[in-house]
This record gives sequence, structure tokens and C-alpha cells, in this order.
Amino acid sequence: MRQRKLEIYSVEHHAATDIKKKEGRDGKKDNDLELKRNQQKEELKKELDLDDHKLSNKELETKYGTDIIRGLSSTRAAELLAQNGPNALTPPKQTPEIIKFLKQMVGGFSILLWVGAVLCWIAFGIQYVSNPSASLDSVYLGTVLAVVVILTGIFAYYQEAKSTNIMASFCKMIPQQAVVIRDSEKKVIPAEQLVVGDIVEIKGGDQIPADIRLLSAQGCKVDNSSLTGESEPQSRSSEFTHENPLETKNITFYSTTCLEGTATGMVINTGDRTIIGRIASLASGVGNEKTPIAIEIEHFVHIVAGVAVSVGILFFIIAVCMKYHVLDAIIFLIAIIVANVPEGLLATVTVALSLTAKRMAKKNCLVKNLEAVETLGSTSIICSDKTGTLTQNRMTVAHLWFDNQIFVADTSEDNLNQGFDQSSGTWTSLSKIIALCNRAEFKPGEESVPIMKRVVVGDASETALLKFSEVILGDVMEIRKRNHKVVEIPFNSTNKFQLSIHQTEDPNDKRFLLVMKGAPERILEKCSTIMINGKEQPLDKSMAQAFHTAYMELGGLGERVLGFCHFYLPADEFPETYSFDSESMNFPTSNLCFVGLLSMIDPPRSTVPDAVTKCRSAGIKVIMVTGDHPITAKAIAKSVGIISANSETVEDIAKRCNIAVEQVNKRDAKAAVVTGMELKDMSPEQLDELLANYPEIVFARTSPQQKLIIVEGCQRQDAVVAVTGDGVNDSPALKKADIGGAMGITGSDAAKNAADMILLDDNFSSIVTGVEEGRLIFDNLKKTIAYTLTKNIAELCPFLIYIILGLPLPIGTITLLFIDLGTDIIPSIALAYEKAESDIMNRKPRHKKKDRLVNQQLAVYSYLHIGLMQALGAFLVYFTVYAQQGFRPTSLFHLRIAWDSDHLNDLEDNYGQEWTSYQRQYLEWTGYTAFFVGIMVQQIADLIIRKTRKNSIFKQGLFRNKVIWVGIASQIIVALLLSYGLGSITALNFTMLKAQYWFVAVPHAILIWVYDEMRKLFIRLYPGSWWDKNMYY
Amino acid sequence: MAALQEKKSCSQRMEEFRHYCWNPDTGQMLGRTLSRWVWISLYYVAFYVVMTGLFALCIYVLMQTIDPYTPDYQDQLKSPGVTLRPDVYGEKGLEIHYNISDNRTWTSLTHTLRSFLAGYSPAAQVDNINCTSKTYFFQESFGAPNHTKFSCKFTADMLENCSGLTDPSFGFKEGKPCFIIKMNRIVRFLPSNSTPPRVDCTFLDMPHQALTPLQVEYYPPNGTFSLHYFPYYGKKAQPHYSNPLVAAKLLNVPTNTEVVVLCKILADHVTFDNPHDPYEGKVEFKLKIQK
Repeated sequence: MRQRKLEIYSVEHHAATDIKKKEGRDGKKDNDLELKRNQQKEELKKELDLDDHKLSNKELETKYGTDIIRGLSSTRAAELLAQNGPNALTPPKQTPEIIKFLKQMVGGFSILLWVGAVLCWIAFGIQYVSNPSASLDSVYLGTVLAVVVILTGIFAYYQEAKSTNIMASFCKMIPQQAVVIRDSEKKVIPAEQLVVGDIVEIKGGDQIPADIRLLSAQGCKVDNSSLTGESEPQSRSSEFTHENPLETKNITFYSTTCLEGTATGMVINTGDRTIIGRIASLASGVGNEKTPIAIEIEHFVHIVAGVAVSVGILFFIIAVCMKYHVLDAIIFLIAIIVANVPEGLLATVTVALSLTAKRMAKKNCLVKNLEAVETLGSTSIICSDKTGTLTQNRMTVAHLWFDNQIFVADTSEDNLNQGFDQSSGTWTSLSKIIALCNRAEFKPGEESVPIMKRVVVGDASETALLKFSEVILGDVMEIRKRNHKVVEIPFNSTNKFQLSIHQTEDPNDKRFLLVMKGAPERILEKCSTIMINGKEQPLDKSMAQAFHTAYMELGGLGERVLGFCHFYLPADEFPETYSFDSESMNFPTSNLCFVGLLSMIDPPRSTVPDAVTKCRSAGIKVIMVTGDHPITAKAIAKSVGIISANSETVEDIAKRCNIAVEQVNKRDAKAAVVTGMELKDMSPEQLDELLANYPEIVFARTSPQQKLIIVEGCQRQDAVVAVTGDGVNDSPALKKADIGGAMGITGSDAAKNAADMILLDDNFSSIVTGVEEGRLIFDNLKKTIAYTLTKNIAELCPFLIYIILGLPLPIGTITLLFIDLGTDIIPSIALAYEKAESDIMNRKPRHKKKDRLVNQQLAVYSYLHIGLMQALGAFLVYFTVYAQQGFRPTSLFHLRIAWDSDHLNDLEDNYGQEWTSYQRQYLEWTGYTAFFVGIMVQQIADLIIRKTRKNSIFKQGLFRNKVIWVGIASQIIVALLLSYGLGSITALNFTMLKAQYWFVAVPHAILIWVYDEMRKLFIRLYPGSWWDKNMYY
Repeated sequence: MAALQEKKSCSQRMEEFRHYCWNPDTGQMLGRTLSRWVWISLYYVAFYVVMTGLFALCIYVLMQTIDPYTPDYQDQLKSPGVTLRPDVYGEKGLEIHYNISDNRTWTSLTHTLRSFLAGYSPAAQVDNINCTSKTYFFQESFGAPNHTKFSCKFTADMLENCSGLTDPSFGFKEGKPCFIIKMNRIVRFLPSNSTPPRVDCTFLDMPHQALTPLQVEYYPPNGTFSLHYFPYYGKKAQPHYSNPLVAAKLLNVPTNTEVVVLCKILADHVTFDNPHDPYEGKVEFKLKIQK
């Protein structure tokens, strides 16, 4: 019967769809698709005009086919669940693993190497067709290239996957539970299984499991900060109070928290269809931008690939013109490409980035995307959310006013140091009111936890007061017990005060004590006396004036001010047996005694001002973007230094000079506080002007969309924008930003999903660490790349000389790969451990279009200076080996054809000795090994000089970075292994090299060092000179 | 980031490039003014001159350390290579195919032999001395004119029937071809302790070929390289040195089948078992005589 009834309800509402549904159930599955589409359309419409808050309970029941008392039937619920899917946000679309893997396989230089490998195979194919016994060398080379690409691809993929996994484990959450009424029974089910029409119960401390239309509520307050960014608790009831569904009191939203009270409501939206879901999908709609370092690496890959391909093709043409066989020319082309492409570099960059990511994670800065590590370093604007990021996200008592004097309370994180004068009698009374007129309570069983960390049941203000009095007075619960509460009136928005009446702890004093707190002006109205120095005095005009001054002053600080008063009820009128009634208020509520004011604020984190100063000196503009009130925002901005002490807004100037705001010259103001309303009326040009002209900006009362607009505005200024935030409302901006940082503790999942980085300790100052690390890694990557590029010339020259001058080939292609992927790998990673040369936090952020990772100076200096010196050094070793074996340098020129001929087995050297083809081959391999060792030895010098770009090596300290020495050792060990360990394996083309040849290139290595020290010396001596401009990279 | 991803049109890029090539506002060509280009070129010229000078100096020093008579290292020439004349290479090593009845197929072979032996004519050997000793010809001093050392004569007539003097066809015509075997020179190399090195040619065993053992006539007799041709003191000390030769006349090569002949040098210090080098201490060739 019940089932039947439900059906009827739904038919009434979704008549068309339901008929179709029935058809579908009857077996016509074709209709299912259309049905789904229709439903989607309908749902979309419903989303756009949410009007459930206007409906009466009866209408709601009809609309959602449910029963307020009995709830949904579980079968109906299961149906709806199948229809609408679980009540959870769809996680952001993951790129399939295979795509990620393939991307690594074709990204960067890989495509070039693939081309090389394929050319090798094609060359072999052609050779094979004409001569089936053609040598397999090119097949080997092609295979080696392919293996190199695949291995580096796998490696990079592994690195990426590893850092993603950290994230995945971090994001895992405890499944949320919800209390729901189904089949007339209360059940606890996972929140994921909620469906539209479910009747749910919520209580203080719960997270709201879906968008809920409240049906009844008792003292329910919610914290909408994850939605609006505003941490002020908002009361909720079943009344329809506002047209706007976001403002009305009878709707609570998914993922916000219920602070206190209880409520029952009906689920009206689930999963992605909730308001939060929509914002989250707004975030996923914002495209992922390329990170600056990705752009830089792309730029660098383009440069190197451009050089490789153009040199390759140039020499291909030369080779063809020199009557080389086309197939040989192709092999040269491949060799030149291989020589020019730093195969190991991208893997090295990945490792360097992940090392930094690890280091940052240790400093509470967890980076999701490896490339985002550097982004922080190039950040020029940080748009920070206020609540929770800059502030502690908890109300704390900041100021007190009693005895006509303002006292400052300690607002630091531990709060233990309340040093204001507590001797006055007024304070004794005030502290009693604070302790007694308070409904918040500590969660039991946490006595060992520090007071500030204990969980409190109650709203933010009461929590603040409770903790404040607990710190000062000791056990508040005990005090309350001693002063038994006889009656209380909780705070409500009409009274704007809270009142309770207690028996006093003094057994001789039979009077009742009435304590009251509330909005200061309301409290003052109810008072006729004021307590000064513990004595009651009549509240005269001057006292009232003093009160107003204090009230305005505290309010002006953006603080929430509460007034406190008390009154001892006369014992004769109110004997011990008197029965108080909170409804009829059979006790006096006027002519009370005013005791004091107390103001609270969500105070800034103690580390933030320092961090903001550091950002400033690092040339980073910090902009506050908050959903909170402009006054509070400005006050916090001032206290953390986002608005510096001596700068004024236009409004401040107007106030100071007593002129209208319009008359103020806008150029005089350094700071600006802009509200969402003002922002709404601004054109993009005006916003650009605002962002460009004011160094200190606070945006208050902004919506998620506006945050996005602000970020885009900053990006139009060519700035690299970092955004920090925790709420769902921040997530579109987090996604849009070049780097979004979500708060790890308070951050919502939507924010964490959208962010590139997570601040594990929710601390703004972690960002500063991140900036420092990001800048350092940028510098160090420059060094790594410079180091790696240098040897390219030494690798390239042999082929060019082989082609043009016909020397026996100085180094083979496979041997090159052993440099690129063998000896050079660890040293280039070691540079990532290099310490900063100077205070990197004292310079401007890099300009993302002008300060490139690989600039002309770096390429020129690496290729044409050090690279060339290396090539000469390596050739010296090569010539030495040949000369000592009987072939003098002069005789080697144009020897190539005879040398490479398999059919010439009595080639004469300078001594008249005759060499067979294999004997020459073996000598050639010795030459390879010699050249290889020559490059390796000079790369050691190269590694040492790359430690600094400007300072002397000796200033930087030769031994400070131990990893460099590990790198050097690894170079030598790998080379020794290749020469002596694998020297007998002919396929690798290494031979055992005589000990003295290892030292031939040492003078060249020293020369490189001396030359570079000279370069650095002149750069330091003549900054800005011609030398500096051309030689500093 | 949006700004960076702005796609520029081709004409814009061209314009930018043109601007880069010649910037009329600052007078910059390719990013530098003319004077800047001159300066930087001067720097590079100077830098490269210095670097080349240093390199040349290094090479000069290297050459000063090199002994003109003996190479510093001979570790890569431990055992001499062996070469064959005539040397015709096929896909895999030496392959000599000819047809007895077709002159053209072997005249090029005999021509190779003849031109090779031209260096062994009495006229070519005029500067060398006659040696008869059966032992090594050690020379510590530079006794020969022009501060050189003596070299022993080796003339083509020592090869008798294979000298091309008595039989201009080197036996190719009658199917008993001559092959000349030469041992590569190595400075100061002593092939054996007492007995002179000897050439030994055999058919290489083929599993499916049952061949009678190869009969060879060697010239000089026994196929020996007389010890007085050793040691070799290098080109500078012995400018007229010519390698001693051994000719092998193969007497019973089956016709119309391909056989593999292996000629080894048997001496104490000559090895022929290097798996990588097919020409070290031995030479192997395919021979097919058609009728």
C-alpha cells in the first residue's frame, strides 16, 4: 500500500518521466537512455531554481515522494540510489595510467630518439635487402636507443606515480555516517547511500551529509566557512527567511558542519548536484595550466632538439655532398642526434624535482604535481585566503575593557601567557561572568590534552570564552558546579543576550547571581551602574561615552565585541526557594551592573607576519582574498603586514584629511580594500589597473567566482599566481592558479583535489619555505642543465671531425650513451643538493618570459666555451693513445676509408707496422675509451665549476655539498667498471685503458676550473659590464 | 599563464623574427649592435686562438715524448696479422673464384700478384743486403748509410715457380694456383725462439666434404720466413725493408667445388687462436676453381 502511494506521488510530479520509466520496467530498455537524458535535463533545471526552501512540509513530501515521519522505504531508497548514484562528489577525472605512461614515452627528447631508432632499423633494412650479411650494428644501436627511451620513460613514470601515491594515501578519508529515518526506523548508514527524500537527523559536531531542507531544528548552528569562507556560526531553523537559497535559514549545505543543536531535515540534493558539488565541478571545469617549469623544459627541449636536428641535417647534407653513402650519412645523422640529446637529463630533472618535493614535504609542503615544485619559486603574487591560512581559524579573546581601560590578551597559538593586570575586583566579577554565562563544555576524557587543543562542544565565541577562562581560572567545570545554575536563557537573535542565574559558591551568601552577556549596546541599555575597581558606580554620561569609545575602538579592530553585566538578586525578594521561570522572566533584567567588554577575533597565526615580510623582501605581492567582512579583513591584513603599518587606503586618507573619498588622489594610497560588491562593478581593465597600482590589496566579501576573476586578473599581469585556501569556495581559484595550495588540516576535500600543493600544517609560512625551495631548485636545475649540455660539444665534435677530416672515429654512439646515462647521472642529480649561492629570498621573483631556465648565455657558455675546451681535452687523450700506439696525429687525417675497410689487413702505421682490421678496431675502441675517460675527467671539473654561477667555488665551499663528491666518486667508479670490468666484452666497445691515460686530460680539467673562476671573478668585479651580460647564465 | 599560451599568428612571428634580425630602433642585428658583434667576435677569436695554441702546445709536447724508432706501446700488436695475395674479398672474407678455361677470370688475379711482386724486383731491392745467416739479424748500431739499419734482400726469384718469372700464369692456368702469404710487420717482433716461422696450409675441415689432404709446394722451400729478416726496426731505421714472403702452390684443389683453405704461421710467438681476429697468425680463404 505504502509503495503504491509513493508511486502516485512521483507520478504526479514527474508524470512524463515516470510513464516512460514504467515502460522501461516493462522491458523496453531502449527508452532508458532517453529517460536518463530527460532526468538530467530536469535535474539541471532544478539546480538552477532551487525553491525547496519556499515549500511547506506537505509540498516537500509530495515533491520528493517521502514521508516526514516515516521516511523513505528502503526499497524506494535503493531505487533512487541506483538512479542518482551515490551521494559523493565525483572525484576529478584521472588520466588513465596507460596514457600517463605513453606520455612519458613520447615526451621531451623521446620522440627524437624514437626517430633515431627507427632510422637505424630502416637503414639496416635497406642494407639487408642489398646484402643479407650486413652487420647488425645499426640494429643494436636502434635497439639500445629504444631501450633508453623506454627505460627513462618508465623511470619518469615511476617517479610521477610515487609522488601521486603519497597524495592518494593522504586523501583517503574515513567514511562518513549519517542518521536516517527509513521504514519508520532510525538507521545509521554511510552518508554515501543517502538519496533525495531521505529524512536525516543531524546534531552538533556532525558534518552535513547532503543539501538538506530543515524540517525542525533546536538551537542549530552551522559553520558555513567551507562554503563562504566566513567562520561566523549561523543559526538554522525550519523557517523560510530569504529568497536566496544560500541565505535562507532552512537549508543547510553538504560538507558544512553543524556546530551545536539538533535538527531534522529532508535531503534535497545529493552528490554532485549539491551546491558544493556544483562549485567543485566549476573547479574541475577550469583547465589545468602548464607549470612554468614545464614551459621552461619545453623551451629547453626545443632549443636542444633544434640544435640537434639542424646540425644533424646540415652534416647529413655535407656527408652526402662528400660522396658518402646515403646510409652512412643516415647513421651519422643518428649519431649526431644521439650526441646532442642529453638522454639522461629529463630523468635527472624529475629526480631533482622529486628530491625537492620530498624536502618540501618534510617542511609540511606536500606537492602533488612534481613540476609544481618550481612554480612556487617563480611565484610573484600570492592570493591568500584569510580564515585558517593567515589566521588560526578559532575565535580567541583579544582585548578586554574594564575599569575604563583596554587590556590586551595573548592571542598566540598556545595562549598561556595572559599577562594583563588581574588584581582588580572588576576582573574577579568579569571572570565569574565569563565562566558562568557560558554553555560551551569540554568534551570529556581530554583532560591531559593542552587546553587550546581540547575539543569543545559549543559555538566559536563560547569556545573562546571557555578556553580563555579555563586558562586563567583553572577548572571552569568545577566553578560552574560550585555556582549551581538555576535558570538560563540561551542567546537568540531577538534578545541578543544570554542570561543565567546561579547560586553563589559562598554558602553564607544566599543571594542569587544573575549574569548576562550579549551585544554591548543591548547590555548597556540594561545597566544603570558600572563597576570600576570592584565598586559599583552610577553609569553616568561620561562613563557611557568611555564605553562607546572603547566599543568603537575594538569594533574598528575587526573584533567581535561582547558586553558583560551582572546583578545580585536581593535575598529578601528572591529567597532560596524562589522558582525562576525563563519563559515569563520573573526576575529583573534591567538596572543591572555593567562590568566590562571583551572582544574576540580569529587571530593571525604567529608565524604569518614574519612570512609576509619575507615574501615582501622576496618581491612577492601578498593579496588577501576573503569572504569575510572588510573591517575584519583589513584588521587582520594590518596585523600580519599585508597592509603595512604606514600605508593607508583611500578611505583612510579621506578620514584623516576629513575630505570626501572622491577627492583623494588615488596615487597617494598604497593599500586598497575592495569588496565583492565593488569588484562586481569593475571592468577587467579597472581590475588590472587596481592590481597594478596598489602594492597592498585586500579583497573582502568575495564569491568563488570573484576569486577566480582575481586570479585571472593577476595572471594577466604576467604574474605567476599562487593561491592558498581551504574552503570549497576557494577550489576554482586554487585550480586556476599557477599553483594552488590547500590547507591540509582544515582544508576541504574539494580544495585539496583542486590544489597542486597541500600545506600540511595549514601554515602560511610553509609557503615561504616552498618559495625558497622552488627558487633554489630553479637555480640548481640551471646548473644541472649547464653541466649536462657542456659535454654535448665534446660528444658532437668527434662525429663532425670524422665526417669532415676522416679521423678514425674518436667515440662510438653506444659509448656516448654510457656518458649520458652512466657517468653523468648521479653528478647531475648531486647539483640539486647544492646550497643557495646568496640569499635567494632577497631578490625579485623571476620574470616568467624573460628569465629563462636555459638562456642564450647558458647555452653559449656551455657549448662554445667549456664544451669546446672539453672537446680539445678529450681529443688530446685520443691523439695520445693513437700516437703511442704508432699512429701520429698527422697521419690520422683522411685515414678513415682505409681504417674502416674490413678488407685491408695490413694497414701501415708511422713505424711501418702493419695492422689487421680487427687490431685497428681494437685500437679504435681503446680510442673510444680514452675519449670517454677524457670527457669524464673534464666533467668532474665541470661539475665542480657548476656548483656556483657567480661566487667563487671556495666561497661556496668545496665540501659543503657531500653529494657532489658522491657524484664524482660514482663517475670514476662507473668509468673504472666500464673500462676494467667490462673491457673484455666486445659489444660494449670498451677496452682496458692504461692507467696514465686517465690523467692526460687533468691539465685541461684544471684549465676549465681556472677559466671559470676567472669568469666568476670578472662577473663579481664588474657587475653589469659587457662580461657580466655575456657570461652570467 | 594565459598570456604565455597565446597563439601568435605566423605573420606576427615573422615580424618578430625580422625585428630580431634588424631592429631599427636600437640598431641591433640579431640581438646585438654592430660594435657589440665586433667585440664579441674579437673575444671569441682571441679565446679560440689561445685554446688552439694550448692544444697545439699539448700535441707538440706529446710528439716530443714519442720515440721515433719504436712505438711506446705494442700491446695491441702482440701477434702479426697474415695477408694473402691475390686478395679478393667476397661477402665473408677472402673468396677466390676463377675458371681455368676463361682467361679473363684469372688474369686480374695474376696481375695482382705481379704488381705485388714488383716491389720485390732486384731493382727495388738494390739498397738491401744479402743475408745468409739462419739466425736473427740483430743490429744495435746504425750501420747503414744515412743513419739507418740494414735490411735483408728478398727478391721475387726466391719464390721460384711462384715468382711469375718461370710461370707468368702463377699456376692458375693448370689449376695449381700460387698464393703469396705475407706476415705483417711489427717493430722488434721476434716470431720464434730458434726455428724459423713456417707457413702451413690445409683444407679447413668441412663435415660433409671428405677431402684428401691438401698438397702444397712452398717457396722458399719448407715455407719458412728466414730469421734474418727479423727483427724489424721500423720505418725510420729500415726504410727499404720488405717483408719476407712465402708462396704456396696448391697442387690438388678439387675443381668445381668450393673449398676453404687455411694457412697458418707456425712459430713460437705467433698465435692464431684469437676468436675475434680472423687474420691474426693465419689467413683463411675460399677457393673455387671451375673447369
